[in-house]
Amino acid sequence: MIEIRNAGKKYLQGAREVHALRNVSLRIKSGEFLSIMGPSGSGKSTLLNLIGGLDQPTSGEIFMDGRPLHGISDDELTLIRRRRVGFIFQFFNLLPILTAVENVCLPLLLEGIPFTRIKPKAVLLLEQMGLGERTEHRPEQLSGGEMQRVAIARALITEPAVLLADEPTGNLDSHTSEEIFLLLSNLNEKGQTIVMVTHDSKAAAYGTRVITLKDGALAEDVSLGGAPS
Amino acid sequence: MSVKFAMLGILAEKNLHGYELKSSFDEKVGEFWSLNYGQIYSTLDRLEKEDLVTHDRQAQDRRPDKKIYSITGKGRTELEEWLSTPVHKVRALRDEFFIKLVFMDRKDPGPILDLIEKQKAHYLKQMNRLTNRKVSLKKRPEHADSLTAELLMDAGLFHAEADIKWLTLCASKIKATMGENT
Repeated sequence: MIEIRNAGKKYLQGAREVHALRNVSLRIKSGEFLSIMGPSGSGKSTLLNLIGGLDQPTSGEIFMDGRPLHGISDDELTLIRRRRVGFIFQFFNLLPILTAVENVCLPLLLEGIPFTRIKPKAVLLLEQMGLGERTEHRPEQLSGGEMQRVAIARALITEPAVLLADEPTGNLDSHTSEEIFLLLSNLNEKGQTIVMVTHDSKAAAYGTRVITLKDGALAEDVSLGGAPS
Repeated sequence: MSVKFAMLGILAEKNLHGYELKSSFDEKVGEFWSLNYGQIYSTLDRLEKEDLVTHDRQAQDRRPDKKIYSITGKGRTELEEWLSTPVHKVRALRDEFFIKLVFMDRKDPGPILDLIEKQKAHYLKQMNRLTNRKVSLKKRPEHADSLTAELLMDAGLFHAEADIKWLTLCASKIKATMGENT
């Protein structure tokens, strides 16, 4: 589904050349729940950003369902990102002036689809996230776990091919984190491909595969056997 | 020590014969702790000698009498006292992996670094199995012991996580001290 061939990313920090990623090759199959682990500065988020089309490699190739994500224009990349990729972040990134349901609708509002046409689906997604009673609340009226669940609903509104998560519970306590991971594992069980950056092996244990990066290179690749029965 | 109190705890709920006691033990803590019948019966003998447990005989057709065990008043008092006392002994650092570390090759860190990665992968797979069981448990309707089962699995997960973090630190310190040589 996603194929990365010899991808590298370097940039200049002052006069120094920094290799954020070195020659990474990786094939992510549809239906996988992949965790990317590694020390800070090992290139985890850089790799996630390449997979999600937030950034392009300085060398190598990336394909999503056979279509290149490298060497294309920013506008083309933006379009793929909006339609094919869902993101969730450590700090939720919800717009504070919008209600939960409006936040969820946002990706499709940006596509020019009218709110009234999107709203029923957004409400349904929020219900699936256990937030049926919270649709008209603003982020400041929600707990951290609730905000992240709104963010997951928002990421799913476009029915993305892949859901990307960057330390999704980095800002939540253990119990609330577990609720988020149960939701993600549920989505994965229904077929949603998920790629998650995490430093928490308890989080990675919900997935099907764990890769470890070291100094921008792929160091370990562990397949975790069966899904929940 | 805790086997004794686990058995007292089970008998405090219900009078049972040895076989049932083992089933109940397995159901409650079997995930982390396996006991054979020999251990069950020798513990029961000891508990009887200490007057913490007693038994009644139940006649059976063409088979020896069945012993039904029950907790005594003294047993209940000891159990309650034990239940309200914090545990003083922390986990022993007697991990098998630790012994391997002691005998690692001091000149070539390659083999031990490889082993550390394999060990980490093993812990991750173990954590994945525990997590999958926890996820299935959460889907089933509530039953009395599901909370304690879940909490035990959480303990297993947190310990395995700590082991992985420790192994990562080991690898980092070994590399820093001996160089990578690979």
